[in-house]
Amino acid sequence: MDTFGLLLQGFDVALHPMNLFWALVGSVLGTAIGILPGIGPALTIALLLPVTVSVGPVSAFIMFAGVLYGAMYGGSTTSILINTPGEAGSMMTALEGNKMARSGRGAAALATAAVGSFVAGTIATALLTFAAPSIAELAFYFKPADYFALTVLAFTSVAVVMGTSRVRGFISLFIGLALGVIGIDKMTGQPRMTFGASALLDGMELTVVLVSLFAIGEIIYVASRYRHQSDDVLPIKGGVWMTKEEWKRSLMPWLRGTAIGFPMGALPGGGSEIPTMLSYTLEKKLCKKKEEFGTVGAIEGVAGPEAANNAAAAGVLVPLLTLGLPTSATAAILLAAFQNFGLQPGPFLFTSNPELIWGLIASLYIGNVMLLILNLPLVGMWVKLLLIPKPQLYAGILVFAMIGIWGVSGSTFDLACMVVVGLMGYVMRVYDFPIAPILIGLILGPMAENQLRTALAAAQGNPAVLVETPISIVILSISALFLLAPMVLRRLRKAA
Amino acid sequence: MADPEAATPGARPWWLGIAVIILGCVCLYATTTLPATAQYAAIGPGMFVTIAGGGLLVLGILLLLQIARGERFEAQDAENAAGNLPMDKRAFFTALAATIVPALTMETLGLPITAMVSFMLVARAFGSSKIVIDLLTGAILGTVCWFLFSRLGLQLGGFLPLAGF
Repeated sequence: MDTFGLLLQGFDVALHPMNLFWALVGSVLGTAIGILPGIGPALTIALLLPVTVSVGPVSAFIMFAGVLYGAMYGGSTTSILINTPGEAGSMMTALEGNKMARSGRGAAALATAAVGSFVAGTIATALLTFAAPSIAELAFYFKPADYFALTVLAFTSVAVVMGTSRVRGFISLFIGLALGVIGIDKMTGQPRMTFGASALLDGMELTVVLVSLFAIGEIIYVASRYRHQSDDVLPIKGGVWMTKEEWKRSLMPWLRGTAIGFPMGALPGGGSEIPTMLSYTLEKKLCKKKEEFGTVGAIEGVAGPEAANNAAAAGVLVPLLTLGLPTSATAAILLAAFQNFGLQPGPFLFTSNPELIWGLIASLYIGNVMLLILNLPLVGMWVKLLLIPKPQLYAGILVFAMIGIWGVSGSTFDLACMVVVGLMGYVMRVYDFPIAPILIGLILGPMAENQLRTALAAAQGNPAVLVETPISIVILSISALFLLAPMVLRRLRKAA
Repeated sequence: MADPEAATPGARPWWLGIAVIILGCVCLYATTTLPATAQYAAIGPGMFVTIAGGGLLVLGILLLLQIARGERFEAQDAENAAGNLPMDKRAFFTALAATIVPALTMETLGLPITAMVSFMLVARAFGSSKIVIDLLTGAILGTVCWFLFSRLGLQLGGFLPLAGF
């Protein structure tokens, strides 16, 4: 069947009343957590994971898709109205958006962010719809060595791109890899790194590590360096809608933002920070009213980065769905969610579970429409969430975190791990270690190991097998480039 | 992880590099307890552990070298937190205590009471002084969550195991 027919089937699944309900729940939750500080999409999905066991994979992923996109919408609202970007991807939005709100054009900024997110989200989802099956097809030709090379690329790019220092990025990654080998070795049945503790035989749950790093680490860190300030929410002024001129000024930035965001999101290590930054710089260069940048706020500086941000979020799904390769913390927890349901994303999922994949993709279109409706007229209601006092908000996050961890397996050992890993999360924040590489190492490490050992075993241990196919040579060369490029650039700059 | 109190950003946090090296050594030590019989052509369950441990060892040494050269560590900015603020030790330990409580009380006292105590402690760490209201809020939140999530199929243990509920 062709892609279009499959997509129609997907809509059939996604439009089922129960699934529509879950899409709505996800969109509402996503918008809320995008607005609230201290809780992001990855943490939310991790906390929801135990609950979804009784729901079934299709509905669960439709809800997660709503959370993923909704967080992007919510993040832009706080960036514009109180100048605190909820997610890394909405940092650029805060620059111009908050200035616009201050000069009485908050409504236009919110509108261009919401419509831009919608336009970018829909175009990017369409690109995902038609690109994913072909990439999945390609992946059928991948040998174990190629898959191993792919994981190496994901590792190096995540460790290099995220954070400020390569050494610290790689330390995070290798801690993740070390945590990933804990438990019974799947190929030989040997217990590894358990030190006689039976609670460790099943390995470290990604949920436990993620919740501890993101929620516990954050709570302790923010408490220790709490900035007492009242968030003064700027009133939404300037009518509910954009003027004709503002529409005209937003259109091209939306499209350019999408064009930058989608491919960058799909690349390992692309994330959402770099594409939004690129889009902002580009719009600043191209804008005819340069004097508005940094003064009263230029609408192009909101429209472009917001579109790039949403397009990147959709782009992240491409390697995840087609190759089973997560490139962000959120993608890592989505991969864990697939594994929870006994599913392995990758080329085979398109043939074995078309209902799930196409239902998920169709629900991305529907979620975008829902979010536009939820966010544009109702933005005043969402902002009320910021009235929750901070002490009680962070206390509530801890309660949900402990339920999330206790609910996974009801083990006191996991709760003890929560303290230790949470403290590690605190130290990582104080000394500026990136967190995402730990999660990528933890979830991708076992896959990398499996492919490496399969490849080597087939070649009687000859490591040359790893660079035998053209695909693996190309991918490993790109990984090396990632590693060496910053060093070479620094040398060149010194020489110049 | 080693004691986070040992250094403040700006100083030379040697212990960070040493902690990473120790983690690496723990991994390498773990490989020595694996039986060699499970190997085939030097590829066994220990190979990847050796890679992870060796990597951490090398990276720990690199980090020590960076620290010796005066690497700067700047605390991350987060929402509601500023990296350049001095560390509030009392708030830190109160929040830390809140996260230790569940491991001690969850099994015997159940979720609602655990949530009540932890909730109050975190709120206190953030400067709330309304102890009774916070305790009440935490207890209500814990109770509502217990009923809600138990109905959704989560195994959250007894409501108040000590009293036999």
